[in-house]
Amino acid sequence: MTLQIDRKIYPDSCISKVVYWLSDQYTIDRCLEGNNEIITIEGVTNEQLFKKMFFEKLNDFKLREVINAETKDIRTILYAKAFGDFDDITEEEITE
Amino acid sequence: MKKYALLPFNFTRLSGKEVLINELGDMLISPIGTVQKIVDHTLDDEDLYKTLVANSFISEELLPTLLDIYASRLRLKKSFLDDRAALHIFVLTLRCNQNCVYCQASSREEGSAHCSMTFDMMEASVKLMFRSTSQHLTMEFQGGEPSLEPKLIKFGIEKAEEINQTECRNLSYVLCTNCRSLSDELLELCRQYHVLISTSLDGPSYIHNKNRGREDSYEKTMAGICKAREVLGNDAVSALMTTSELALGYPKEIVDEYVQDGFTDIFLRALNPYGLATENENWDLYNERFVEFYKTALDYIIEINKQGTFFREVYAAIILRKMLTPYTTGFVDLQSPAGTVNSVLIYNYDGYVYASDESRMLAENGDHTFRLGRISDKYEEIVYGEKVRKIGKVWANEALAGCSDCPVKAYCGADPVRHHSTQGDMYGFRPSSFVCKKNKAIIEHLISLIIEREDEVMPIFRSWLR
Repeated sequence: MTLQIDRKIYPDSCISKVVYWLSDQYTIDRCLEGNNEIITIEGVTNEQLFKKMFFEKLNDFKLREVINAETKDIRTILYAKAFGDFDDITEEEITE
Repeated sequence: MKKYALLPFNFTRLSGKEVLINELGDMLISPIGTVQKIVDHTLDDEDLYKTLVANSFISEELLPTLLDIYASRLRLKKSFLDDRAALHIFVLTLRCNQNCVYCQASSREEGSAHCSMTFDMMEASVKLMFRSTSQHLTMEFQGGEPSLEPKLIKFGIEKAEEINQTECRNLSYVLCTNCRSLSDELLELCRQYHVLISTSLDGPSYIHNKNRGREDSYEKTMAGICKAREVLGNDAVSALMTTSELALGYPKEIVDEYVQDGFTDIFLRALNPYGLATENENWDLYNERFVEFYKTALDYIIEINKQGTFFREVYAAIILRKMLTPYTTGFVDLQSPAGTVNSVLIYNYDGYVYASDESRMLAENGDHTFRLGRISDKYEEIVYGEKVRKIGKVWANEALAGCSDCPVKAYCGADPVRHHSTQGDMYGFRPSSFVCKKNKAIIEHLISLIIEREDEVMPIFRSWLR
């Protein structure tokens, strides 16, 4: 089966993560055509179910990516405070 | 709602709920759609908003006021790293007096020669152990069957006690034995130095004897357990079971055996792919059946607790401790960075130091990937050497494909040795990893139990953590 995914909506990193998790069960081929990524999957028995599952995973990874992007700085500070010697980080330094 | 900033967290969906898990492993169960609302800043439930703030999923300030406390809690979760290796396993011999069908240690006949540690090796190993900076040092004697080398055990303990006169560490000792050859002299030594006995009991006689390859094995083990309890006390004797393929059909019977024998906990352990166990024909099928076995046994254990008998499943308790308390555990299989080297070192009868118990098992099949150096080498060359640096690149699940995005990674661990063994690559490929499938299935099952049967299971789970 073939899926067409708009790369303006779903970035490569999200699609790659879904493909990673499915790659032990299916043979998956990826091809970029303009803004669309064409994904060809071999070994699918129920196309409707597969498509639903694929996009559920994709949406979840996109949500995670938004969270990760928004919290990247605070996570860095958190780990620095926990395991380094950086006790004097100010709010101004984050917003710079 | 006020303006807020997100704090790092991940999520999954289980039992009709969204489960949010933050960087500390704190868990929040919320209605489906909550994460989308958090990200879109469209939260409309005041109570949920306050809960999210209180549990560090969102913050009303860009830099949370409690960030220092948050950082301290994260440091506490990884505090096992401060101590370096606390568990030191001494593989005294490969000689054994049983013929276990799934032997993971490649044990040899009782009368075999050239497969035991020398006294010189023991002395060098003990000295090496004291190079670890951990205030707590546990000497664990393993085999083969270590009780076949009682003089070596005595020598090792006395050497450690002698060195500890000046080192002043907290020393503890564990003897992993099948209890067939516990002599009065050995038990007296155990009593003198408070050595804990860890034995193997696979369940009722029809399972234990079949697994252990001897018709009298159950009888001898039980006699040994009784004898050890008489001398050392009930609390000094614990037992472990290994789930052979035969055992998969008897979850309740195995639990019943442990309860009847007076044990207060059981560790439902899956087979590991080392030694004879590698001959298992279908690991995929075994893994699936093990998870079902585990769920059935755990459910039965919960029922036993509900009837007023305290009885704990150890693997669940380890995960629940990570899930429900601010603390970490000393269990090396569920750590990130991995317990390998960081929490455990193995001094093998062959004169080499290995990265984990499983590493020395691999060595018996000619795979020396995790052999770190000779017992006579310098400590720094062993624990900071080239091999450890290579393993170190793949021992944190925060930095591994498949793990770094996993919602339950805070409760799991990295296992480069197992992935090397099963997939030929210590980095590991999570979609087909047995370790990943098993751990994730058990962790998710525990979360589902908390969601679906909170009032029933939480008092029991909390009692397991006291």
